[in-house]
Amino acid sequence: MSKKVVTYTINGKRYDVLVESHETLSHVIRDKLGLTGTKIGCEQGNCGACTVLVNDKAVLSCITPAMRFEGAKITTIEGLAENSELHRLQELFVEKGAIQCGFCTPGMVMTALDFVSKNENPTYDEVRDALSGNVCRCTGYKKVIQAVVEYAKEIAESKNKSRRIEVIKVESNRKSKHTVGIGRPYIEATKKVKGAADYADDIKIKNALHCKLLRSIYPHARILKIDTSKAEKLQGVRAVTIGSELPEKFGVLPISHDETSMAIDKTRYIGEIVAAVAADTEEIASEALKLIEVKYQPIKEFLTIDESLQDVGENERIHIYGKFNNNVHKKAELRFGDQQQGLKDADLVSKMSFEFEGINHGFTEPHAATAWWDENGLTIIAATQVPHYLHRSLAKVMDVPLSRVRVIKPYVGGGFGGKSDPFPHEMIISHLARKAGMPVKIRFSREEVFITNHGRHPSKMTLQLGVSKEGMFKVLDADIAIDGRAYGSFGVVTSYYNGVLLQAPYDIDNFGFRTFRVYTNKPQCGAMRGHGAVNSRFATETLIDDAAHKLKIDPVEIRLKNFLSPNTLTVGQYRITSNGSRESLLKVAEQSEWKRRHGKLEFGHGLGVACGFFISGSALPIIRNELPQSVVYLKVDFDGRVLITSGASDIGQGSDTMLAMIVAEVLGISMDKIFVLAADTLLTPVDMGSYSSRVTFMAGNAAKDAAEKLKKEILYTVAQRKGVFPEELNLSDERVFSNDNSVNLNWMEAIDILTAGRGAVSISGKYISPKLGGDFKGSGAGLSPSYSFGACCAEVKVDTETGQVKILQVWGAHDCGKAINPLAVEGQLEGSWHMGLGQALTEQMKYYKGLLVNNNFLDYKIPTSRDTPDIKCNIIETNDPEGPFGAKECGEGALHPIIPAITNAIFNAVGVRITKLPIMPEDILAGLKKKKQAEEVAG
Amino acid sequence: MEKNQLYHKAKNVEDAMAFAIAHSEDFRFIAGGTDLNVNRFHGTIQTSCLIDIHEIEELRQIKGEGNDLHIGALVTLDELMQNPIIKKEFPALVEAAHSVATPMLRKTATIGGNILCENRCIFFNQSEWWREAVGYCLKCEGEICIATGGTKACFSKFVSDTAPVLICLDAKIIIADNGKQEIVKLEDIYTGDGLKPNKLSNTALVLSIVVPLNKTYKCVFQKLRPRESVDFTSLTTAVSVDETGRVKVAVGGVDPKPIVTEGKSLEERDELIKYVMKKSRVVDNDYYTRPYRRLMIDVLLKRCFKKLSSEEN
Repeated sequence: MSKKVVTYTINGKRYDVLVESHETLSHVIRDKLGLTGTKIGCEQGNCGACTVLVNDKAVLSCITPAMRFEGAKITTIEGLAENSELHRLQELFVEKGAIQCGFCTPGMVMTALDFVSKNENPTYDEVRDALSGNVCRCTGYKKVIQAVVEYAKEIAESKNKSRRIEVIKVESNRKSKHTVGIGRPYIEATKKVKGAADYADDIKIKNALHCKLLRSIYPHARILKIDTSKAEKLQGVRAVTIGSELPEKFGVLPISHDETSMAIDKTRYIGEIVAAVAADTEEIASEALKLIEVKYQPIKEFLTIDESLQDVGENERIHIYGKFNNNVHKKAELRFGDQQQGLKDADLVSKMSFEFEGINHGFTEPHAATAWWDENGLTIIAATQVPHYLHRSLAKVMDVPLSRVRVIKPYVGGGFGGKSDPFPHEMIISHLARKAGMPVKIRFSREEVFITNHGRHPSKMTLQLGVSKEGMFKVLDADIAIDGRAYGSFGVVTSYYNGVLLQAPYDIDNFGFRTFRVYTNKPQCGAMRGHGAVNSRFATETLIDDAAHKLKIDPVEIRLKNFLSPNTLTVGQYRITSNGSRESLLKVAEQSEWKRRHGKLEFGHGLGVACGFFISGSALPIIRNELPQSVVYLKVDFDGRVLITSGASDIGQGSDTMLAMIVAEVLGISMDKIFVLAADTLLTPVDMGSYSSRVTFMAGNAAKDAAEKLKKEILYTVAQRKGVFPEELNLSDERVFSNDNSVNLNWMEAIDILTAGRGAVSISGKYISPKLGGDFKGSGAGLSPSYSFGACCAEVKVDTETGQVKILQVWGAHDCGKAINPLAVEGQLEGSWHMGLGQALTEQMKYYKGLLVNNNFLDYKIPTSRDTPDIKCNIIETNDPEGPFGAKECGEGALHPIIPAITNAIFNAVGVRITKLPIMPEDILAGLKKKKQAEEVAG
Repeated sequence: MEKNQLYHKAKNVEDAMAFAIAHSEDFRFIAGGTDLNVNRFHGTIQTSCLIDIHEIEELRQIKGEGNDLHIGALVTLDELMQNPIIKKEFPALVEAAHSVATPMLRKTATIGGNILCENRCIFFNQSEWWREAVGYCLKCEGEICIATGGTKACFSKFVSDTAPVLICLDAKIIIADNGKQEIVKLEDIYTGDGLKPNKLSNTALVLSIVVPLNKTYKCVFQKLRPRESVDFTSLTTAVSVDETGRVKVAVGGVDPKPIVTEGKSLEERDELIKYVMKKSRVVDNDYYTRPYRRLMIDVLLKRCFKKLSSEEN
């Protein structure tokens, strides 16, 4: 009895399914019945994405045997909407902006529905508790909880009135003439909340084979022999491949093409891919892996920064290039002003050393992709943030012209930098698909996601800040070492960002840094939200707090004294345009009642503050070329609909909606006349992708440029037909009209004129950043056409017996120039602060002899809804002169100030300075003990 | 390559037992399955035969019998938390149940499963590939314990949060095995050997947990963990005092079994804590370090005593 036909009623429909004895319910629902709205995020019951209702009770379908529920009534996310009307809870998720990447959404909705059905009128905290088994990495939970609380309230009210809930609909066509600046749900939010949005693993390509990867079990070892013959003979195996078949190197930066698809001569970390199998089923592929014999010869591994900075002697280096006999990958150093003079001028020098563990993006959707070859060459559907770089890398590794590669990005369940490199598995399935002559699919386990890593670099650094007794910053020096691990990834950029991004938001004339990036035998680090500067920002803000404390100056005051002004140059010649540092800091100080409360709370209870800033996209492309950084096409045809075609990748941050809003605003039309086609390298123009917080600024500007050109074209054509000057015509509110009303056309009439005799009109817009920066080597690092600024204040309570920290409240403010979509901006900010809380409190990648120990959502500790305090979100608008409608970035910079705000609050609470992340309770206890001893000696 | 896999939904205890005996060489009972299925996913538990007992109605009741409350082994933690008698009589048990895993898991996880939850260690609860890479520890057929760097004993930690409270409440469990039933004190089933943490034979079934209702206990509970949800315990402490002043202490998360001790009054606090510290075999197999967890035994237990003392007065 290995298999049996089991009957279920799912979403009101009867299914008779052939179920394997030990198959999980999620496997049946997703893979056999194609109900892919139910998501798989961890396979171990820790993330809640797989939640369904069985006989009206919430069940984690990924750890439940399908056989158990023979005859049961099952409801999945697809079963909630009735007659094309969303369930009220779904509507509220949409309205409140509770949906970003949307991957956790189905599970959240099902969990919440089950909870509310059994708990009448719950409090905010009860809802917070109820959702604490559902991981969301995008929203910081705030909007999700708000949606559920409101739903519960409506239910309770409707019960009191003993009538059906009257559904209050969102107005789809707002009466305002404007789109920009008015918060709205994502254009695809409805699709996501219904479970109808397809992510990479949800897409079934006919006859696709399944790929599994064999990974190294040694951190540093020569590969003496790989024997795949037994695996090849296994029935159902269609192709097997090893590293030597794909010798071409790749990497996201042209200067760091140091990785092959699979290890060839040696492995450089535990988990590196050494062979791959494509087979009829995942089970056969897994079985085949066991038949591959690999003979390794372990060699001396390098696992720490300190070791890798040293000469390796007789041992073998991790990579052979580089002038010196060590494992240093990159040394970046820049100095401005006169640091020695600055130290002399300072009345106080605060100097400390810091240590940071590496952390992981923790997006909820595991990597997945499907590749196939046909008469058009290679097509790959992949969960990626940067289709363009994947396009280039695939062409190089597969050795085919760029014109024979097509990369399609489906809906992506979060990225945060972790899906921005081209990945080995994407090369491998493309190769296997060519070899087997069939499509090949892959999906990662959560363990594989963690092993693939590319997360934030662990680092060690010593910084010194010199301050005059008046509190003016005289000098800042940073000596930094970052652990890049096995390969280059974005590491050269990271090396610079650690230093250069300290030259703002404060005015410091004497500034310098030196960063070493080393290789070690662990999974490579790369870019992660707040790229490069999060840890060194933490260090700097800690020193500022220390200096303020020693000089008896208020931490808010000392920062206000030193801020750069708007419209200025930094010491390293960054052009600062709009600058909302002051407004941001004053806002959080006011809301936290800083003046009244700071320094006046009882022992163990404290307030802390910190600031930050970030780039709005890099002014220089990664691959030097003369293409614009972003191109957007618009096409309008006889039907009046405007098609936006863009290479920008929406990974949950809302960029598709942003583009549509900008075009709607310029053309004065409603959003339902706009369609966005994005991130398909065959159909869409080149965009560098979603990294370095560039999309709103660059793709947004390109969309605006295109829309303005189209507007001009419409007005010009109408003017010609009507015999007026184009300057006399207006385009707004879906009409083309002259001031004297002699011309008064609705949109369709205007489009009839536009398309008469020529058909559809296509127009291209672009963004190229201005020439910026100084004339010195390294001047390009951190250059951006605009910078965001922000501040955070945190209130904490420290348990002085256990050393545990409870964050009571966070106030955050971020200058995003102009919020194109305020609802989305809030979501980005709240999500950034939430992610920062994780790095501060519980997140770290722990290794044992090079082997990642906490490779799942149980042991890698992302804050749950219960660990997330109330977050007060403030959008500061400064209207950047070059941003689209004044907009700047809001996706990464907000993360910078939150971590030091928390640790500065801890200092304020108990007088213990945190110099290591994550904050460990025992470090606080040690600090308290040391302080007590010092006090005893002193007193 | 495909092994004939079986899945049997037991109708009642006899049916479950009979099926178990018929497949005694290789089978596992599955109740909620929240622990078992994750261990199967990791390959630390492998079996071709699952006997699903979760629908056995007789094991899903909470009922008073004489001076005892019988909690069926298959009562879910969620149901337990909602039960009016338990809420009234044993608030510490509700607190303990609430601290287990996540709301979602508690809807499926059972009280019987929780007290028999497989011991955990960061070097053991890993995938097959991972365990191969680390060199297999003692608990999965390796030669040595990795957490301690080479001892020949396994120190995987006992992680049930409800068991320490139940022990403090003098709970007993009714076990059915080989056609016989026996009733034993809960603390007596734990061996202290990380390799085989409890004495139950593989065919044994816990039917119910029996908690005396006629003693006026006060019981308090504390749990140390990095996050306020999801996490297994790094340290669980429970302390009770009955109407005679007798004190019972049970501590989990710091040894392969719960550390249990008793005293005549709350005055004996320091000796009791000292005993627990001495008996706990804490090793580095947790988010928190060994010294920190040891230190916290003292802190959390003192908190429990303080709370009991203040409630007494």
